[in-house]
This record gives sequence, C-alpha cells and structure tokens, in this order.
Amino acid sequence: MRRIKSFRSLALLLAICMIMALFAGCAKKANPLTIWVGVESVDFYTAKMAEYVENYKAKTGEDFPYEIAVQGVDTGSAASKVLDDIDAGADIFTIAHDNLPKLTAGASAIAPVRSQALLTQIKSDNPQAFLDVIDMNVQGTTYTFGIPYIAQSLILMYNTKYLTKDDVKTWEGIWAAAKKHNMQSVSLTGSDGFNNSFLVLAKNETTNRMPTVLYEDGITENCNFTSDEVVAIMQWGQRFFTGANGAKMPTDSGWEIELRDEISLGVITGAWKFNAAKAALGANLGIATLPSFTLTSEDVKGTNVKAGTVYRSGTFADCKVFVMKKGSDKADYLEDILLFLTSKEVQEQSFIECANLPAYKNAAKEFASMQTDNLETELAARQLDMFDYGIPQPFGTPTSQFYYYSKGAPDLIREILENKDGLFGTTEAIRTQLQKVENIWKTGERE
Amino acid sequence: MDRKKYGISGFFQRIAQPFINFYKRFMDGSIGTKMSHFIMGAGNIYHGQIIKGLIYFLIQVGYVVFMVTCPKVNNTPLGYKAFINFVTLGTQEGDIFTPADNSMLMLLFGVVTFGITLMYLFAYNSSIKSSYKADKDLKNYGKVTTFRHDLKEMFGNRFYIAMLTPATLGAVVFTLLPTLFMILIAFTNFDKERQAGLKLFDWVGLDNFTTFFTNPSGEIAARFLPVLGWTLIWAFFATFLNYYGGILLALLINKKGLKGKVIFRAIFVLTIAIPQFISLLAMRNLIGEYGPLQSFLIKVGIMSEPMSFLANAPNVWIARITIILINLWVGIPYSMLLASGAIMNIPESLYEAARIDGASKFTILRKITMPYIVFITTPYLISSFIGNITSFNIIYLLTGGMPKVTGGYIAGGTDLLVTWLYKLTIDEQQHNLGAVIGILTFLLTSTVTLITYRRSKSYKEEDAFQ
Repeated sequence: MRRIKSFRSLALLLAICMIMALFAGCAKKANPLTIWVGVESVDFYTAKMAEYVENYKAKTGEDFPYEIAVQGVDTGSAASKVLDDIDAGADIFTIAHDNLPKLTAGASAIAPVRSQALLTQIKSDNPQAFLDVIDMNVQGTTYTFGIPYIAQSLILMYNTKYLTKDDVKTWEGIWAAAKKHNMQSVSLTGSDGFNNSFLVLAKNETTNRMPTVLYEDGITENCNFTSDEVVAIMQWGQRFFTGANGAKMPTDSGWEIELRDEISLGVITGAWKFNAAKAALGANLGIATLPSFTLTSEDVKGTNVKAGTVYRSGTFADCKVFVMKKGSDKADYLEDILLFLTSKEVQEQSFIECANLPAYKNAAKEFASMQTDNLETELAARQLDMFDYGIPQPFGTPTSQFYYYSKGAPDLIREILENKDGLFGTTEAIRTQLQKVENIWKTGERE
Repeated sequence: MDRKKYGISGFFQRIAQPFINFYKRFMDGSIGTKMSHFIMGAGNIYHGQIIKGLIYFLIQVGYVVFMVTCPKVNNTPLGYKAFINFVTLGTQEGDIFTPADNSMLMLLFGVVTFGITLMYLFAYNSSIKSSYKADKDLKNYGKVTTFRHDLKEMFGNRFYIAMLTPATLGAVVFTLLPTLFMILIAFTNFDKERQAGLKLFDWVGLDNFTTFFTNPSGEIAARFLPVLGWTLIWAFFATFLNYYGGILLALLINKKGLKGKVIFRAIFVLTIAIPQFISLLAMRNLIGEYGPLQSFLIKVGIMSEPMSFLANAPNVWIARITIILINLWVGIPYSMLLASGAIMNIPESLYEAARIDGASKFTILRKITMPYIVFITTPYLISSFIGNITSFNIIYLLTGGMPKVTGGYIAGGTDLLVTWLYKLTIDEQQHNLGAVIGILTFLLTSTVTLITYRRSKSYKEEDAFQ
C-alpha cells in the first residue's frame, strides 16, 4: 500500500512538473529587436550593433529603447522561415536578392525602404546591376526593398602545384595540364543553376554579348536559350564534361576530397567555400577568374557559329541584401540601423573580419584593405573582376525563378552535358532540350 | 455481451445514446440539474457542492469570455470569429502597408477553437452528470459527496483518470489537432503561389486529390506510383533483411559453447551506440568514388575506375541496393538484441523434449525457436515495417533522394513518400500536395498495421506463451 502511495505521489509530482514546464515554455518572452545575419557573421554584427547602440546614446542622449538580438540564420533558408510564419520573422533579416520576388508576392511580407537618407545611400553606393534587382512591383507600384551589403560570384580555385597563372587563363590550358598529370580539369560543387552559370552565362569575347537571354528588362517573355551560339556552347560543354580529363560533375565523395587527393586540378565555386578549399589545398591554393574557352569545328557543327570563337565563362553575380519585416513594431528604428550596417565603413570591416565581399561599387579601388597582397584580397579582387562577366540572377514573375529549380531546368542542362547513351549527340536533340529550359523560364512548364 | 451494440442499428444506437441520456437527465433531474443545463455548476451549488460548482462555473465563464472577446494571436482572432474565418479563410487581401489575412493561421485557429469547444462540451456534460449523480446520491444515501471526498476518490480509486487526463489533453493538443490541421490543408490550394499572410488561399474540395491521380502531364501524378512502389520495396527489404539477419546473428551468438558471447554482443551493440547519422555519413564517404574502399578495389584490380553507388549512381537500382545494404549495418544490431532476448527466454525443457523425440537441429529451429522469436517480435516487426515506410534519415543522408530519374524533377530515384513530402513542402512550398501525400502515407501505414497485427499470432493468441 505504501509503495502504491509513493508511486502515486511520484506520478503526481512528475505530472505537475510537466504542466509547470508547459506554462513556463508558453510564458511571454521579452521582445527584442531581432536581426538575422549569416551564421558566419554573427559575432561581427553583434559587435557592430553594440557600437550602434553606443552611437545612438551619444547622438540622442538616450538609451536605445530595445534590446538587440543578432542571430545567425542560414541565408538560404531565411526567406522560407519568414514565409512559414511571417510574424515569427526577424525585424531585419538577410536574404539572397533572388528571394525578393517571393517575399514581395501578393501583399508583400517585407516593408519597402522609405527613408530618403537610406535610398540615397543605396543609390550612390551600389553598382547598377544590383540596383536593377532590388526594386519590386507590388500591386502596381514599384518600391525598393533590399539593401545590398554583400556580393558573390563564381571564381576558380585551383592547385598551383600543377597549374600556372597562364594555364588558368583558358579551359584549354587547364585541360592540357590535366591530361599531362592524368587528373580531372575541374570539379563542381553542385549542378544547380548557380553552378552551371559558368556555361549558361558565357560571354562572347568579341561581341561582349551573352548569347543567353534571361528575363531581359525584367520581362518574363524576354528569354532565349535556343540560339546557335548557346547550342555550340553546350556542345563545347558536352565535350568538356565527357572527354577524358575534362570537368567532373559532383560526386558522392565531394569536391573537397577531389581537390585534397589531387583528383581534380581545381573547383568552380565562390568565397563561401574559401575555407574548405584552403583546408584541401593549403599553400597550393590559387585563385583566378573563370577562364575562357574556344569553340572548335567539332563544337560548332550544325550551327552558324564560326570555329575559333572565344567565350568567357560567366556567372550569376549576386548580392545579399538586408530587408525589413512588414508591420514590425520597431519600424521607426530599422532604417537608421540599416543605414549604419550597410555603410561603406561597415562593409569594409566585414570584409576584413569575415572575408565578406562588399557590395559597395568602388570597393576594389577605395578600400585600403583591398590593396594588400594576400589570398583574401586576391579572392575579393577576382570575384569583383567576375562582375564584368556576370549578371545578378534576374526574375520574371514573382515565382518564375522558382521554376528554374523546381521544374528541373538545371537537370535538363546537366543531361545535355553528360550526354548519357548519346541522347544529345545532335544539335536538334540539344535544341529541343534547351527549348524546354526556355519554356520553364517563360511559363514555368517544360512544354 | 450486449449484442445490440453491434451492427448498423447498434452504431446509430451508440451515437443516439448520449442525447437520450442528456434528455433523460434534464427530464428526471432536480431543479439544480435542470439549471446545470444552462449554467454550469448550478446543480452542484444547489446541492451544496460549492467548490466543485464554482470550478464548473469558471470553466463556462472562461469559455464564454474566450468566445466573445476573440483574443488575437499574431493579428488573427480566436473565439467565435475563428469559426467564421475557418469557413472563409480570410477576406482581407492586404497591401504594401497592411497585412493580408493569414489564411493558414485562420485555418489553424479554427481547428484550435473547435478543439477548445469540444473540451468545453465535455466539461459541460460532466457538469450535468455530476449534478445528476448528486441527485441520485441524495435519493439513495441521503447525502452528497463532499469536495474532499471527491478529491480523495480522484487520487485513490480514480487515480488513473487523474493521470490520464493531462496525457489525453496533450495527445489532443499536440497530435490530434495538428493531424486534423494537416488533413484540412489537403483540401485547400495552399501552395507557393499563395504564401500564408501574403495571399489568401481557399477551400478547393477534392481538387488536390484529383490532380494527384489524374494529371498525367504533371510530375506529381506521374511520379506517385513509382515512388510508392519503391517505398514498399524499400520497407519490405529493409525490414525483413534486418529482421532475419538479426535473428541469424542472434542464433550464432547464442550458440551453446561459443566463447566470448558478451564481447560479440557488445561489439554489435556499439553500432547502436554510435549516432546513426555519423554511421551513415561515414559509410557514404567510405564507399564514395574516391573513398578508401574504391581506392583499395582499384588497387587490387577488382574495379577499373571509380563509380558512384549513391546519389550519382549511373543506374537508380545501384543506389537502391546500396542503401538497402547500408541499412543492414545500422538495422541488424537492433533485431539481433531483440532476438537474443527471445532466444534466451525459450524454456530449455522444450528443447530437451524435442531432442528426446528425435527432432533434428533444423526441426528444432523451425518448430520451436523461430515460432517463439516470431511470436514475441511480431509487434516489433510491424513497427519496424512502418518505421521503414517513413524512414527519413537514411535516404536523406545517403542520397538526398537522388539519383535523378527521367520525369522526376522533385522526386529522385531513391525518394520515399516521406522524403518526397519533405521536398514538396519545405523546398517547394506545395503544402497542399504534401498534405495529400501525408494522408496517403498515413492510410498506407495504418492499413498495413491493422491488417498485419490483427492477423498475427501475437494478437490472436495473446496468452499462448505466458
């Protein structure tokens, strides 16, 4: 009987504890001003916000009215988190600029910039390419939503033990070295739309024109991916990916191992993989802009493109932007904070401390930290060089760039390049496949 | 057994019974019980059960206040407005400065308010029953129970009710209501074109189900059967290979005269002690194109060049078979432990009797050991099969659903229903179609569980081996 009683008491105690824990968990929490930044930059922006709070007090003579919480959230998933629960989003958060359309669809989840000072800073500090992609049309009116502060583009990271600076000027140079050392020319970190942009967005060196037309002037119908030039580029890519010692599609082992174990001579990637590449190659890590390639008679067969035409590999030259939550109860303070966080000075400090490539348009010339001679500076300089060969990922309708991924456009391109069972051995087959990609861009459907 | 409770008439009789009782209590009850039909706790107060009556009254007041004031959470009201919003799923389109109605929260809060109302009705009925019981007690014993007595009863003879109530409430709040919410999503057009809070979504009836099964041009319909087929193949092999592999290993380890049984058992248990995701990632690197295994095989001349066995495998079946084999590594130790427990508990007298009767080792295995193990482990086998149908980790960590297959731009060759569901909802925000897959998976798993368990000896002969 006593044992039953003590069992009951214990069960009761546990039940009470559970109920108390439930109430404690549901209790109202303090409501700080929240900022989401990339996981790698939390410490930096926490320190910057402490500095901002001090400046605020010095300027106004009053304490900043809110606690500030800087939290690390993966940039790729911040927009999805907000869309899952709009009210749970941070007051300020960072996204890749191509997430702007889905955040501003319908009645918009984010607030437009209204402060004249901030609008002026955005206009004066950013390259035109970025200014073109931060304005969105909501219910018939155009507003500025994103404040650029970090840029990113693809570059080549390579093994200096096997490749010279001359070799990495052309893919042919790299391929020849790969044949000599019986290695693969280059690895890819993924086969998605960002990674394959080195081919899709290749630029004709003579005309300085990109054969691929993708939402030109922001018009959904303005897409062309079936021209003879694009077909010829795909045939070159096919040769490069299927030929001995050419390029490698992603493997189960991963590009880091391929680089470390000297299976590949280099990798096409961006600054966000810099530390991993450094870990794989150590002192042998070299950085270069993406090389050019020359079409051979084999590549141009079935097209009106001349053999010998030279193309420079392209890239999506994207930017990360800060945005503000719509309906934030701290809206009065957000734009001033953003004026500070996206200022030229903070961008330079972010480059020095976190190796973030600044979005600031004259960073390469004006930032003293970019005049030094080290690998980090090289990384930034080469990425900035790539902006001459790239475009920010554009969009047509609010969801059209979604379809680029979800309807499998990158997979269709990969199928051409891999040419399994010779399915894409003719220009007709390639063009038909490219037409599907173009359709996806325009309508969201393959056919 | 009351036969009237079975059959169609019995079904309707059971539904009607609470209403008949309700009417009976109102007609037969005292004035206090009659009052309880309008004011909760009135009957208890009438009979002098003040504290109990006040508790019931407070519940009613709380519910009425909740329904009338419609408290807002994230700008979306609960209470009676939640019922209206549940039907409309919002009307305010919003603009750049004002938020749109959040259809998702409206649907959720409708379900929550519905749940709260059900709980209130339960308390309401309980209040009437309590007053009616007091009527009877007064009539039969000349007095009603005191609050102290009720409390003592609650923590004495009716302790199970006291303990089960929070658990039941928890199950309703954290399992039943979210499940109901998920089911309802399948009847809306909540997708990436209509993000909650940005654009209103609406009820669409069975459209998502018809899209799922009848739209051959879309991936969803085209990929459903292949993904379902692979899910069943995977669940079958992952379950039975692990199960019989585990039994085989247990038989070997528990063989009489084997030295170091404990060490052998401990070695296999170690694989359970290592977190599964670490084992899986290590395995992925081990068999990768440039992993140590392939390097060795190339070195000794068994392979001529590296090839992918997982996400980039040239043929989808290579990836599928590899996953099933890797799963043996993480799955067999569990069934080995379970089978070991069963084997060690088989009475030695059974074996002795069999040996005296001249049974061979194989006959003993077939007639005694296997039936005993299968009888004990059938519930595990069923839960393991269900677990494999909804197995997320292994697929996600080893291949991410890849390799690509023709016509599949969301679902890959090794995607199970559950990983496809994840991609549809998390990556693609096709919540409505994800909900349809969720419902179909639930129907599949619950049907398999019910049929197999009800047909198993573990269920039919529950007492046989005791």
